[in-house]
Amino acid sequence: MSDAMIQVRAVTKSYQRGGETLRVLDGLDLDMEEGHFYALMGPSGSGKTTLLNMVGGLDRPDSGDVFVAGEHLSELRGADLSNWRADNVGFVFQGFNLLTVLSAQKNVELPLTLAPLSRAQRREQAAFALELVGMADRASHRPGQLSGGQEQRVAIARAIATDPKVILADEPTGDLDRASADQILQLLQRLNQEFKKTILMVTHDPAAAEYAQRIVHLDKGRLERLEEKGAP
Amino acid sequence: MVALVFRNLLKHPIRSLLTIGSLTIAIFLLCFLRSVVTTLEAGIASADSRRLWVQSAVSLFVDLPTAYQAKIDAVPGVERTCKWQWFGGYYKEPSNFFAQFAVDPDELITIWPEVEVVAGSKEAFANQRNSCMVGEELAQEFGWKVGDQVPIIGALFPRPDGSAYMFDVAAIYRPTRATVDSRTFFFHWKFHAESQEAITGSAPNVGVFVIKVAQDADPTSVMATVDGLFENGPQVVQTTTEAEFNRQFVSMVGNVPKLLSFIGGGVFIAILLACVNTMLMAGREQVRDVGIMKALGFTDGSTFGLLIGQSLALCGLGGGFGILIALGAQVPIATLLGRFFPGFRILPETIFLAIGVTIAVGLLAGIVPGRSASRMRAVDALRRQ
Amino acid sequence: MLVPVSYNLRSLWVRRSSTLLTIIGIGATVAVLAGVLSLQQGFATLFAESGRTDVAIFLRPGATNEGDSAFRKDKAQRLIKTLPEIRSDENEQPLAGMECYVAVRRNRVGGGETNVPVRGVEQRSFDIYGDGIRIVGGRRFKPGADEVIVGAKLSDRIEDCRLGDVIVLNTAPLRVVGIFESDGPFASEIWGDLDRMLNALQRPSPNRVVAQLNDGVDVEELNERVKDDKEVPAKVMTEREYLTSQTSALSGTLLFLGAFLAIVMGTAAVFTATNTMLAAISSRTHEIGILLAAGFRPIPIFLSFLMEALLLGLLGGLVGCLLSLPLNGIETGATNFNTFTEVAFAFRVTPVVLMTAVTFSLVLGLFGGAIPAWRAARMVPVDALRRR
Repeated sequence: MSDAMIQVRAVTKSYQRGGETLRVLDGLDLDMEEGHFYALMGPSGSGKTTLLNMVGGLDRPDSGDVFVAGEHLSELRGADLSNWRADNVGFVFQGFNLLTVLSAQKNVELPLTLAPLSRAQRREQAAFALELVGMADRASHRPGQLSGGQEQRVAIARAIATDPKVILADEPTGDLDRASADQILQLLQRLNQEFKKTILMVTHDPAAAEYAQRIVHLDKGRLERLEEKGAP
Repeated sequence: MVALVFRNLLKHPIRSLLTIGSLTIAIFLLCFLRSVVTTLEAGIASADSRRLWVQSAVSLFVDLPTAYQAKIDAVPGVERTCKWQWFGGYYKEPSNFFAQFAVDPDELITIWPEVEVVAGSKEAFANQRNSCMVGEELAQEFGWKVGDQVPIIGALFPRPDGSAYMFDVAAIYRPTRATVDSRTFFFHWKFHAESQEAITGSAPNVGVFVIKVAQDADPTSVMATVDGLFENGPQVVQTTTEAEFNRQFVSMVGNVPKLLSFIGGGVFIAILLACVNTMLMAGREQVRDVGIMKALGFTDGSTFGLLIGQSLALCGLGGGFGILIALGAQVPIATLLGRFFPGFRILPETIFLAIGVTIAVGLLAGIVPGRSASRMRAVDALRRQ
Repeated sequence: MLVPVSYNLRSLWVRRSSTLLTIIGIGATVAVLAGVLSLQQGFATLFAESGRTDVAIFLRPGATNEGDSAFRKDKAQRLIKTLPEIRSDENEQPLAGMECYVAVRRNRVGGGETNVPVRGVEQRSFDIYGDGIRIVGGRRFKPGADEVIVGAKLSDRIEDCRLGDVIVLNTAPLRVVGIFESDGPFASEIWGDLDRMLNALQRPSPNRVVAQLNDGVDVEELNERVKDDKEVPAKVMTEREYLTSQTSALSGTLLFLGAFLAIVMGTAAVFTATNTMLAAISSRTHEIGILLAAGFRPIPIFLSFLMEALLLGLLGGLVGCLLSLPLNGIETGATNFNTFTEVAFAFRVTPVVLMTAVTFSLVLGLFGGAIPAWRAARMVPVDALRRR
C-alpha cells in the first residue's frame, strides 16, 4: 500500500444504456498524491467523470477499491459516507449547481451547517472563503443576479469553505467564456500552489489542462498514461 | 435548513398561497363544524343532575293535564315542581324567533339558581302576573329595558283577532351556566292559562313539568315513581334526567355527528389532494437541489426532512391561519347563530384536533416526495440538467 | 388559427400525476355535491310527486302543518256536508273525511328514539286516496277496533311494526293487522281508526279534513272564500301543495348544505387545478414561445389553455357523476324538519342532479384555468424562447 492520498485499485464500472452494457472503467489502477493539481482527460465515455464521482463517494465501483485519505470508501455506507464527504470533499460542477433560492453567502454556508460550528463561526468561514475567491462584495446576491464566472467562483468558495482534503472539479469551465474560464483556472491554481490544496479536475480542454501539474490520460476505462508538468 | 424550507416555499409564491388558502378554508370549516357538535353536546354535558323533566311518553307534541302537578309534588324526594310550557310565538315578525315559556315564576327562580338577574328584580317578576323575565342577549337585540311593554304574537296559541299578548319587562337575566341560554323569554303560567281559557273556554294543558329533586333523594327512584303514578293514564309520562331531555332534541335533528363526519371527510380529501399535488410538484422541481445537497454531504434523511419540512410548513401556515380566523370569528358567528343555536363556542379540544389534522395532512403530503428525495442518487439527480 | 385539442390532451397525459390529482379533487367535490342533491331530490320528489291535485286538505286558518291544526268535529262535519266543491260518490255521499295526526315516540330497530306519525282516519279516507293506499299484507283495521295498519317502510325500521305485533299508544294496546304500501310519505306512517286514536291519545279533536274535489275546482278561489267564513273558517290547499310545503325546511337545509360543501371543496379543487395549470404552463414556456413565434395569436393560446382546464373539469365531473350513480335507489331516512318525524325515501340521482354536477365541474375548471391561461397568452415570445 503506497502512501498516496488517493488510491484506485482495479476498479471496474459498467452502465446499462438503452439495453446495452457499457464498460466505463475497466480495471483502473491509479495513485494520486496530496497537494497536487491533477487534470483528468480522455475521450468522452472514457470514465473520467465516473472516476471523479467515485473519489468523492458519489458513485461505487462494481469491483475494485477506492481509498481516499486512508479511508476505504466501499466500506462506508449511508450516513457515514455522507458525513465523510461533508468533511473531506468539495465539489465544483460544470453547471455551478448553486441553490437559486439562497444568497451567495448562504450557499457557501450551506455545507458548513453540517459541521459542529456556531452560527458566527459559519458566517466567518463563509466570508473568508468568499473573500478568497474575490466575491465578498456580492455576498448577498442570489445566483440569478450573478454572471456565470461569478457563480462558479461562489461555487468554489462553497467547495473550500469546509477546508476539505480534496477538491473535485467536473468540467468547471465548460459553461464559461474564455476570460471567465481563465479566471477560474487561475483561482484553482492558486488554491493548489498557495494553499496546497489537492485538486482533481475533469476536462476535455487541453488549454485548461495546462493549468494542472499532472495530467491523467484515460482511454477505454484504463489509464493510458500519466503526464508530469512541473514540480508542485 | 429551516431557512431553506421557507425559501423554497417562497420560490413559488402563488402556488404556496393557493395551497395555504385551501388549508385555511378547510381548517376553519373543521373548527366550525366540530364546534357545532361540541356546542350541542355542551348543553347535555352541563345538565343539572338534580333536575328531572316529566313529559308525555307518547309524543313531544302532546300535553299533560295540569292536575298531574299536585300528584308529582306529593312524591317523596320531590322538593319542588315547575310548569314549563312552550309558547311558540314571535315578536312583531315571524323571523324574530326565540323561545318563550309559560312557567311558575317562584318555582323557576328557585329551581334555576343559575338564572342571575342583572336588571329589575325577581320579586317584581314573581309578583306581577303580566310581567316577563327576558335574557340579556334578547333584551340587547330588541332594545328592551325594565319597564318596557313587549307585544308577543301567538303562533301556536293565537288570539282570534290575531292581536298580540302584552307583557311588562320586570327583569333581565344572565345565565351563569350553559344549562340556560341568554335568549329566552319567561312569563307567568297563570297569564297563559287565563288568556287561553278566555279564548277556548277551557284551561290549557302543560307541556312539561320540571322536578327539583331533594338533596338526600335518589333521582332514579323518583323518576320511576313518577312514571308509575300515571301508568294507567290518562296520559302516560316518561321522566328523564335533564341530560337525556336535551339529548332527545339533538338526536331529532338526525345523526348530526355522522353527517358532519361525512362533510369533514370530503373536505379532508379535497385539501389532502391539493397539498399532495403541490408537494409532488415541489419534489419534482427540487431534484437538482437534492442532488447538490447530497453531493455536499447532506444525508438521505436530511433531504427527506427538507421535503417533509416544506410540507409541514405549508400546512402549518394554512392550518394556523384557519385556526386564527375561526377563533376570531367565534363571537360574530355565535351572535349570528344565536337564535337557533345558542352558546356557540370553540373548545380547546377542537383546536387540538385542528392542529392534529394539519400535521397529518402535512406528513401525508410530504411522504412521497420525501421518500423519493431520500432514495435519489446524487449522480442521477445532477445528471438531469 | 386555433391550437389543436390533441396538444392539450397530450400535455395532460404527460403530466399524469398532477392531472390525476386534479381530476380526483374535482371528482370528489362533484360526487359529494351530487350525493347531497340526490338526497334532497329523493326527499322532495317523495312528497311532491305523490300529492294529488284533486284531493284537498282543510286546516285551521293560520296553521302551517296538520300538527298545528285542530278541527272541531261538529265544524268539520258541517264543512263536509255543505261544501259544493266536494265530490260525491255513487251514493250521493261526500267523498270527505276527518283525520287526526300525532307524531309519537317510537324506538328504532337497532337503538335510538324517533318520531313516527300516527294518523287516525275514517274509512272514508281509503275511498278518497283509492290506489294511493294499497294493503299488501293482512287487512284494514275494523272501525272502532284496537287495530292499526303500518306503512311498509316502517316495518323493518321501527320496533313492533310487523304484522301481528302489538303497539302500545299511551295506555292502549293496538294490534298490527295490516301492512300498506304508498308512493308518498304515508308509507312511513301508522294508521288507525279516527275515534279510537283520538281516544287513545287523548286528543280533543281531529286535525284536518281531506276531500276529493269535483273537476275544474279552483282551489285558490275556494281558499279565498272559506278562510274568512264565519261558521267554519279553514285554510284549503291541494294535497300536492300541502306535501310540497312540508318539505321546505329539510329541502332548504340540504340544498344549503350541498351548496356550502360544493363551495368549500370546490375552492380546494380550483386551487389544485390552478396549481396544476400553472406548473403545466411554466414547464411549457418554451413550447408556448414556439407557438407564438410560429404565428399563433394570444387569444387562441388563451382559449387553448382554457380548453385544457375545462377538459380537466369535465373529466372530474364525469368521475364525480360515476361515483355518485350507485347511490340511486339506495333507501335512507331523514328527519323532516317541518314535522319532526322521520321519513324514509331513496336517493334519486336525477338528470337535473347530473347536469348540475357537470356544470359545476366545468365552472371549477374555468376558475382554475382562467389565470394560468391568461398568463400563457401574455407571454412574450422572445422571453419564452429564451427559457431552456
